[in-house]
Amino acid sequence: MFAIHVENLVKTYDSRRVLDGVNLDVPEGEFYALMGPNGSGKTTLASIIAAVKTQDSGIVEVYGNKPAQAKESIGYVPQENFSSPKLSGKENLIYFAGLLGYSRSQANQLAAGMLNKLGLSEEADKRVDKYSGGMRKRLEVATAIFPGIKVLILDEPTTGLDPAARRSFFSMIQEIMDRKTSIILITHIGSDAELASRVGLIDNGKMIAEGTPDELKRKHAVEDVITVETAVKTDSVLSVLRGYSINEKVAESETGYKIYSRNGDRVLADVVRSLDQAGHKVMRIEMARPTLEDVFFRLTERHLQEATG
Amino acid sequence: MRQISAAYTKAVKELLREKAALFWTIAWPIIWVLIGSFSFTGSAPQGVVPYIKGSIAISMMVFALMIAGMSNLPASIAGDRANGLLSKLISMPIKPYKDFIGRISAVITLSLLAAALVIVVGTVVGARFTGAGVEIAQAIGFVFLVICASAGVGLIAGTLIKNLQGAIMTGVGIAVITSAISGLFVPYEGLPVPLQTFARVYPISSAQASIVHLLAGPDMVAYNPLTSGQIALTIALSFALLLAGTVLYSRLGWKLE
Repeated sequence: MFAIHVENLVKTYDSRRVLDGVNLDVPEGEFYALMGPNGSGKTTLASIIAAVKTQDSGIVEVYGNKPAQAKESIGYVPQENFSSPKLSGKENLIYFAGLLGYSRSQANQLAAGMLNKLGLSEEADKRVDKYSGGMRKRLEVATAIFPGIKVLILDEPTTGLDPAARRSFFSMIQEIMDRKTSIILITHIGSDAELASRVGLIDNGKMIAEGTPDELKRKHAVEDVITVETAVKTDSVLSVLRGYSINEKVAESETGYKIYSRNGDRVLADVVRSLDQAGHKVMRIEMARPTLEDVFFRLTERHLQEATG
Repeated sequence: MRQISAAYTKAVKELLREKAALFWTIAWPIIWVLIGSFSFTGSAPQGVVPYIKGSIAISMMVFALMIAGMSNLPASIAGDRANGLLSKLISMPIKPYKDFIGRISAVITLSLLAAALVIVVGTVVGARFTGAGVEIAQAIGFVFLVICASAGVGLIAGTLIKNLQGAIMTGVGIAVITSAISGLFVPYEGLPVPLQTFARVYPISSAQASIVHLLAGPDMVAYNPLTSGQIALTIALSFALLLAGTVLYSRLGWKLE
């Protein structure tokens, strides 16, 4: 039996299909990332699995039960900061433990243990409005991993966190995985999704690809990615770069361009030479193996960040 | 019971730590008790002044109860919806009515605290009250009706108005406007006839008149609010407002779609 089973899921808002026949299976203990731009339907999918919303049609099961009947085993962390800023970290945890039916003394014990694990013991009695974004997010994840929770759904948990807070967040996730909890991570950040054991790419309400990060890259983005930054961005630069990219596909970012090649090492030098001959100064050029964001671009012809807005 | 207790404890702590809530619910009515006690009693005979002050303290106590129910309650609901807590709660194995009882109980606690403080301050500045055991018990019953009616309005505002500031201001607005047009801030006899009718029908002003009648004396009220018909109307409309708010909150308050 899968921890999460989703079959042919459809959800419509105002005649727009935000989920259009989505299928998904997550085995027990798996860390699954659902990646897509804003409006792709990933948050709707997460909220249906978390019993917050209901589907129009299709099957959603958490350990064989409908989500509404499996709430005891679901831990959901919505995108917004939901912890009370007027309560301390410890008071917040005691509140959520109380909602789950723990007695005052049990809730106290659980809260103290969790705060200790999170490294928040010293901040336990501090009001949450004095917490950093990372501390607050870790606290909120703690509200979703009380004993008995088997499925953890995290909606964009790292948005707005600095790199140190993100590292600390994912080391906490690693600990949770050790407890055989299944995790669904909703994200539009490729480097977050890379940490998952499997990734589903969702766009316009449809699953467009699924697999391990390596499988996805091998299958959909075999090319090396060359990032080029020139002193100025012009059509002339674009036209030079098109000549070196597979299918003349050039992804434009704020600072420069990305082109795709199967012979990155050789093309790198040729690109510099051609741009130089055309009178364009190359400020930076580097080659990297493809990321999940590149996979998304290859599949949708849209940059994930652009699509996310 | 543990879930209700958890919801109650959280809501009480939040209310007591929210400066704006404390100001509007406790400080503001107390300020008016002080202003009213020293400004509006000058021409009255000396023997009546303590009871006028008592009447003012009761009116401001009722206003405090209104603000607690009509503004603090919807602010708590709209705030939790805006910050994502509602999504979190819906995903948890908690029944909406338990959260509802916890919230209402917290508002009642704050209401009673505010009411007690307003009456104490009124007494300190010279307010005196009549009535003994039975009258006090009846007055407490009317206080309960004010809380019911105010909470009903608060639940309706908190359910229908999704925006936090909108919910707060709507609650304050309803409390201030209905107080002004129903005789809480101005004497009943000074109201135009249509508003006098409104003051008798509006359960909060009717309950306030009843409390004044019971605890400050019948001379302080321009009509008799304690006829059986008037009492029945006040009880019926107070519970009707609470029921409407409860039904609306339980049907729509916990839905995000």
